[in-house]
Amino acid sequence: MPPFVAYVKADTLHKIVPSGPLARWRQRAPLGIQKKNSKKTDGAAVANSAQNTAIRYVPRQHGIVAHRCGKNTEPALFVAGDIGRGMQHRTFLEYRRYRYLKVAALLVLVSIIGYSAYGSPVGRYGGTPMGYILGTLGALLIAGLMWLGVQKRRYRANAGGLRGWVSAHIYLGISLIVIATLHAGFQIGWNVHTLAYMLMIAVIISGFFGVYAYLRFPSLMTENMGEDTLDGLLLKIADVDRELRRVALDLPDDFVKCVDASARATRIGGGVLAQLRPRPKNCPTLRAAEFIQAGGKNLNGKAQQRNHDLYSLMLRKQKLVNRARDDVRFKAMLDLWLYAHVPLSFALLAALLAHIISVFFYW
Amino acid sequence: MKLLLVQITRNRQGQAARAAQPLDIDVLRVGRGTDCKLHLADPRVALHHATIGRSGDGECFIEAEAGGIQINGQFERAARLKPGQRIKVGPFELVVMDKPPDHDLALSVELIEPLEDDAGNRQGRRGGRLRTSLRNTWLSKRLMSWSGAAIILAAFLIWPVMNAINPGAHKGPLQVPLQTTLQAGVTADAAWDPGPLSSGHHSFGRDCAQCHATPFVRTQNAQCESCHKAIGWHFARNTAAQQALHDAVFMQSADASRCASCHRDHKGPLGLVRQDSPLCTQCHADLKSRHPQTLLPNVADFVRDHPPFKLSMLVPDKKGSEAIVRIPQDDKVQLKEDSHLKFPHDVHLLKKGIRGPNGRIVMECKNCHVPDETGTRFKATTMQEHCQDCHSLEFEPKAGTRQVPHGDVEAALATIREFYAQAVLADTPIDVVVQDGIRRPGERIGSAKRQSALSWATQKADKISRELMEDRVCFICHQITRSENAQTKTPSWKIEPIAITQHWLPKARFPHNQHATRECSSCHKVEQSKSSSDVAIPDIDNCRECHGGNATAADKAPGTCQTCHGFHVGGSRSGTPVQLPGQLPYDPKDARQKAARNDLR
Repeated sequence: MPPFVAYVKADTLHKIVPSGPLARWRQRAPLGIQKKNSKKTDGAAVANSAQNTAIRYVPRQHGIVAHRCGKNTEPALFVAGDIGRGMQHRTFLEYRRYRYLKVAALLVLVSIIGYSAYGSPVGRYGGTPMGYILGTLGALLIAGLMWLGVQKRRYRANAGGLRGWVSAHIYLGISLIVIATLHAGFQIGWNVHTLAYMLMIAVIISGFFGVYAYLRFPSLMTENMGEDTLDGLLLKIADVDRELRRVALDLPDDFVKCVDASARATRIGGGVLAQLRPRPKNCPTLRAAEFIQAGGKNLNGKAQQRNHDLYSLMLRKQKLVNRARDDVRFKAMLDLWLYAHVPLSFALLAALLAHIISVFFYW
Repeated sequence: MKLLLVQITRNRQGQAARAAQPLDIDVLRVGRGTDCKLHLADPRVALHHATIGRSGDGECFIEAEAGGIQINGQFERAARLKPGQRIKVGPFELVVMDKPPDHDLALSVELIEPLEDDAGNRQGRRGGRLRTSLRNTWLSKRLMSWSGAAIILAAFLIWPVMNAINPGAHKGPLQVPLQTTLQAGVTADAAWDPGPLSSGHHSFGRDCAQCHATPFVRTQNAQCESCHKAIGWHFARNTAAQQALHDAVFMQSADASRCASCHRDHKGPLGLVRQDSPLCTQCHADLKSRHPQTLLPNVADFVRDHPPFKLSMLVPDKKGSEAIVRIPQDDKVQLKEDSHLKFPHDVHLLKKGIRGPNGRIVMECKNCHVPDETGTRFKATTMQEHCQDCHSLEFEPKAGTRQVPHGDVEAALATIREFYAQAVLADTPIDVVVQDGIRRPGERIGSAKRQSALSWATQKADKISRELMEDRVCFICHQITRSENAQTKTPSWKIEPIAITQHWLPKARFPHNQHATRECSSCHKVEQSKSSSDVAIPDIDNCRECHGGNATAADKAPGTCQTCHGFHVGGSRSGTPVQLPGQLPYDPKDARQKAARNDLR
């Protein structure tokens, strides 16, 4: 592990003691804490190591703390090395101390005030001056939020930037519920206008699933896979299969058959439902393991030993297969909402266009 | 049995490498089992696949055990081994070679059908494709996005626009579905309809172009005026000053003069007419600074600063014509109605009732005040319908029900004269006393007698006429002026024409039927009224008991400007003359007033 250097602001120390998944690293050797170079703009106040024994080594993959404390906009702690001013420990929801939550809340507040203050004698709806303002705001927001799709494809190494986009996307998207409802003046009907509104609500609801997925599944995937990748797992499974075949050679044909079936017919992934299903029914690997376990009783001597080896190998394969399936499943769950979110967004864009043009076509 | 096994392995270029292994055994077991001397490590080979041995005659043979063997392509259970034979054991090929000296058999062994390299790595594959991501499935964001957006654009934008640009002219493949949907009542732009039309405009159905004539142009007044030809201006435009004021107020912007800037449709059955006070108070709250010549006061709110009502009272003048004069309701001195009719409400509404032709009757308001066809106001009260039952115009008690006609003094007097002349001259069973003796039946009277009788009749008629006019019948209700001919001393009477005001608040509307749940007397205090000069129109405070102002309180009925007033009150666009605000001269063409006057004369 490379040495990590933390610049710590002493009076905010309590805030940066790792907790949760980081806590297990607290008992490691103290982190070397360096005097701040006064010319450095990045660092905060200096703390000495004696005061800061709570600061421990923090493993890289868990993300590094870059707290922003109080009025000081600079990070109170950051870790030297190639991580820089990482913000990985913050979720996209907490990006820059809820910057876009505040922006969205402000937008909502302004919209509500505007809606309440500037009524029209003919009622509050999209055709009044305030209705036009709210509608323009909503349409611009929708266009801007859809720009995320473009922005994502431009993503290079600007993790913070994309995180900001996602954060803005979520909060501003949620604010649209209020803005569009006020624009519509709480009126709904069987028409293209309500179609656009309902599509927008559907997009936002699918987005909520996305937020849930992004908060839940990446950590599950990390937990499941550790350092492995799916390709690595498949290679490992292939290795185990080879070993299984080799070991099974000395055992009766039924064992060879079930090992072969396990090698040939075990499915990882597959169609949509197969990818989303936690465990497929009738998995050949599971059946093979059961068969090997049961069949071992009829063997003796060397064959029994072989059978035992085969069984432990099959269990190993089963674990690997389950991990691979979990990975596929988590990834599918992580992606599934997008198959609603993106098409609904484009349907919304089309309906929005039809809504705007129709309103002014029959002005 | 001595035999030579030659293992052939090939490198990537296909070059063979041979490894020979001499064996001296009785029986050669072939299989994947470790106890097999010819150990063929492949799952496609059985544990003990076959046995190679030597028969008694010295010939070598092969015999299948757990697996099948092919010899030169033919499945065999057993066979004698001859040089050149190719024996297939699973994926292995055994070739019987020419046996070297002092050997019984020579076999080469080669794996000719190895397992694929990734044989153990087929999980999740179908057709060679690993599908571990939704991207590899039939789900396609791109396809769903494009098709969804295309369907919505086609159904909700392109089709309606095509239909609007060129209605009814659909040719080609779209024609049939379009016609079908039109017949089913679904039109192309139905989905554009933001809400139900007002009740009056419902008959337009889906013909949007009735109002939306030009795409991307707001509805113009021409569309409205094509039907609403007679809608009134807000105030008259008869003079240059009025025209200038109109232009300043209503022509300041393109939107200000647009009907639809106030009348927004698609707001439901009642949504088309604005009911909000700001429509009016944006000008009328500070009218005097906008238009210094105005006679109207500034009004911002019905409760706060609406002035007392001004009543439009019909005032007869000495010359016999009438005028309508506007009198503030708090001007109690001027507000005395001179209708030339004597009618004390208190007497008529006595709780114990009043004397009628058939005994006492207790009168109610509705006996005389009958709602008109609209229910908003009342039919004119008429002598014949409402008064004459009690106020009979009988003049001669002995003549039973004979009455004088109502409405014409001369006719009435003539009736009396003719009655008594008839009585004295004709053979009527009336008990008349002839001055100089009793007339006998069948007797023809002479000239002198005739003169005498006529004289009697004239005197009698004059007496009765005077009684009627001055003492008992006409006098009861009418103001009557008596005059005498200077020479003949003959009296004549003039009944002052009735001038009952029929519409006290012509600038407001008060639908009586909508207030029918209230007692009449809760607003009209007439029980104590002793004179017909009392005006019993309720004042503004009476209205305020129930009606709130602009901000309608929870316990008040609405009280916006439009609750009582209309906007288009300034004369129709078709050119009917109208009056200035604040001055409402008597309108001789007002049919209602005319009828009322005729009835009451």
